[in-house]
Amino acid sequence: MWAYIFRRLIYNVPVFLGILLFVFAALRVNDPVWMYLGKGATQEQYETKKKEFGLDRSYPVQYFELLGDVVTLNFDQKSWGQEGLTVGELLGSSIKPSLAITVPALFLTSIISICVGLISSFFRGGKVDKTLVILAVLGMSISFLVYIILGQYFGAYKILKETGASPFAISGYEPGIGNWAHYCLLPVMISVIVAMGYDTRFYRAVMVEETTRDYIVTAQAKGASRRKILFVHMLKNAMIPIITRIMITLPFLIAGSILLEMYFTIPGMGRTLITAINDKDFPVIQVFTAMFAALFILSNILTDVLYALVDPRVRLS
Amino acid sequence: MTGTDWFTRIGVAALLVLAGGACGGDETDSSGAKVLSLPMRTDGPKTMDPVRGSTTYDNRACSLVYQPLLQYKYLIRPYELEPLLLEEMPSISDDGRVYTFKLQKGIRFQDDECFPDGKGRELVAADVIYSWKRMADESNSPKSWWLLDGQIEGFDAYREAQNLAVDGGGKFDYKQEVSGLKLLGEHEFQVTLTEPVYTFMWKLAMFQLAVVPREAVDHHGDAFVDHPVGTGPFKLDSWERRKKMVFVRNPTYWDDRYPDESMPGDVEAGFTKAVGTALPIADRVVITMFQQDQPMWLQFDAGKNIQYTQVPAENFEEAFNKRTRELKPEWAARGITAHEVPLLDFIFRGFNMEDSLLGGYTEEKVKLRKAICTALDWEEQNRSFYNSKNIVYDGMIPPDMDGHPASHKVKGQDYGDANIELAKKLLADAGYPGGQGLPALEYYVSRSGNSAEQAEMLKRQLSRLGIEVKVRLVDFSTLIETVNTKKAPFFSFAWSSDYPDAENNLALFYGPNESPGSNHFNYKNAEYDKLYEQCRTMVPSPERTALYEKMRDMVLDDAPYAGSMARRRHYLVQPSLKNFKPTETFYNWVKYLDVDPSARPAASN
Repeated sequence: MWAYIFRRLIYNVPVFLGILLFVFAALRVNDPVWMYLGKGATQEQYETKKKEFGLDRSYPVQYFELLGDVVTLNFDQKSWGQEGLTVGELLGSSIKPSLAITVPALFLTSIISICVGLISSFFRGGKVDKTLVILAVLGMSISFLVYIILGQYFGAYKILKETGASPFAISGYEPGIGNWAHYCLLPVMISVIVAMGYDTRFYRAVMVEETTRDYIVTAQAKGASRRKILFVHMLKNAMIPIITRIMITLPFLIAGSILLEMYFTIPGMGRTLITAINDKDFPVIQVFTAMFAALFILSNILTDVLYALVDPRVRLS
Repeated sequence: MTGTDWFTRIGVAALLVLAGGACGGDETDSSGAKVLSLPMRTDGPKTMDPVRGSTTYDNRACSLVYQPLLQYKYLIRPYELEPLLLEEMPSISDDGRVYTFKLQKGIRFQDDECFPDGKGRELVAADVIYSWKRMADESNSPKSWWLLDGQIEGFDAYREAQNLAVDGGGKFDYKQEVSGLKLLGEHEFQVTLTEPVYTFMWKLAMFQLAVVPREAVDHHGDAFVDHPVGTGPFKLDSWERRKKMVFVRNPTYWDDRYPDESMPGDVEAGFTKAVGTALPIADRVVITMFQQDQPMWLQFDAGKNIQYTQVPAENFEEAFNKRTRELKPEWAARGITAHEVPLLDFIFRGFNMEDSLLGGYTEEKVKLRKAICTALDWEEQNRSFYNSKNIVYDGMIPPDMDGHPASHKVKGQDYGDANIELAKKLLADAGYPGGQGLPALEYYVSRSGNSAEQAEMLKRQLSRLGIEVKVRLVDFSTLIETVNTKKAPFFSFAWSSDYPDAENNLALFYGPNESPGSNHFNYKNAEYDKLYEQCRTMVPSPERTALYEKMRDMVLDDAPYAGSMARRRHYLVQPSLKNFKPTETFYNWVKYLDVDPSARPAASN
């Protein structure tokens, strides 16, 4: 397996170099220094800044410097937007708040959606299935922003207003396990509700396909219980698409949720990225994009490895 | 143990966790210290170095720690200046070029490790000159060099020479003398201006020109941007980027007192109760960042975490009666007070006076522009897009400034409401009866917010005269470029005054400032230019105000723009917050604020 992982990593080196080149070029189509300074800046200011930022050097030098920084995880470049902070400090301080929301949300969404998908597919065409499908479609049809605004209003503000108790913060974030439920649980619940619509529909479709397989009929003929058929036979055989779906979302865990973080004032990666874009904070955008590409490649490799672990028919050769 | 017992245990545990978190959410101080909890509607300031700062948010944060030479009188409107770090207002030579400053003695920088034994030393005149020279040093990334550009004798040449030396591998020499900056003693210095311009005074109240100690800059190096050391009323205690800033009282702050000058109505509002009190009044200031309006609004309404809020546009009718703009009784019953703050805005539709169709100074051309001005209904625009919150006024001088017309109207030049009959007559006199023969007008407007809808309204309003408008919705940068290159015959623009002196707005019509300068109208009037040159050297006086009014009316006569409007912001204040008279012109007002720890913020029922 290690040989396979190593081989995949080697195969993906040109892919990563290509993506990095694309990111590198795309961020230089419009001169980042002019973008940062604005059109009112003088040529003198432009030249000074360009030199200060190291963008007066040749493109190959800049490219290999970026590559070196990403490979060695050196993020000591100064942020252009948040003075006094390096890119590493900025991204490092944002990852934890983002993960505090995205990891529980992914975990809960996946567990609940898979269970609902299983149940729905098992009762395909029946009242239970139809009700669950309608709820899922309804969930998908409403904008994420509506969930956030209503969730914040009814889930935090209204409770506080009506009862004087504040189980969930209207907004804000404090680190620590003790504060997690107060600041993060409501955003997590909103995130789960939103994602469940999409995920339930997907997992139901996967499970429905599985219900037509011969092994289900065999299991039924052998007298296996409904629970065993659902949670042992079907679930195991449906693991490939489930893993694919979960693994695809892994890089986005780091990226955070822009809307949730903005409305709940959580200083996570989503807000950091939006702020960086608004501030034309070139080093942050460049490193973030490069790291995101690297994470995507790594999660793809990890997905293949997991395929082999859950399905003996898949060979890593 | 039964299943039900486990269920109950888990439920109780969950409630305890949630309740524990809830306790952490309140900003109260058990020691009885006065804590101000203020919102900032942004991701926060970018820097705490005055020279590198430029935004309102940089200003708000820096103004807690740093101080410039002058400050605005807290309660007085129209705005007036008074000494802050100075013993008295600077004396000005007869020719208006030489300013002599005397610093107050005994003002100390905050204690910091950069000083020997960590004790802040006394402020001296050399600190002011050093701080201003930092503005010339390109390595500091100064954002506001324009404040001093071309103002002080020898300063531009010094800047150029020093930065050239740095480019050549040398060092920026702060000891090199500048002819226009002269030390007269430990607490006294003199500034010689290149030309007598009174508006230099306003710049002395700007946070970018605040005083910093060289020891702190040298000691903290790159970390100086988030390790401020000033003479101000507060010290930065912690700064969690994009989340919150905490400031604590500066224990060595000098003897600064709550002012005794006030306006009618200030006594009733309770703003004069603290007269003579030592500043700052609060012990701690917590500033929370909000990137969205909804959480800020809900936090305020719930009486949590913030003691005032700006009223978001979408919540205006929740708090105010739309017609009367009065606070609704249910809010007033909670002890919440409302405050209006007119902004120093000049929102207008401009004409390019060099355009072959709309420009020019002949009677016909003036009548054509006046027909357009008379047909535009600013009040309708205010009703439709701003809940009638904005102020529609005549002229280019915003409210709360000398020269702004009484009741916002100039007799005989009232362009607030449309007068279609008059507009039709003017258009006919201009040679285009019913709009016949008049080519379609090209109207440039920036693609943002509801500008497309506003442009549609303008089209409809002018169509009543038979005038056709072609709307060019463009990016803001394209709009600027088109206007700067004199290619936009008719355009939508706005100007926010840099300081509360009408000179700043009158400069928009000064001939030598033509595009790409700030005179985007390319308006040229020799008599006006002469008057402008005269008034910019004058100190505030009834004579100067009369001159401002004369110039305002001269421009109205030629109609190089249609307008005007100024935004008005609304604030709500919790009963626990005292002495808060909102303004958006200056930001050192936190030192005057008091909080009554016994008066809990009012939550809605």
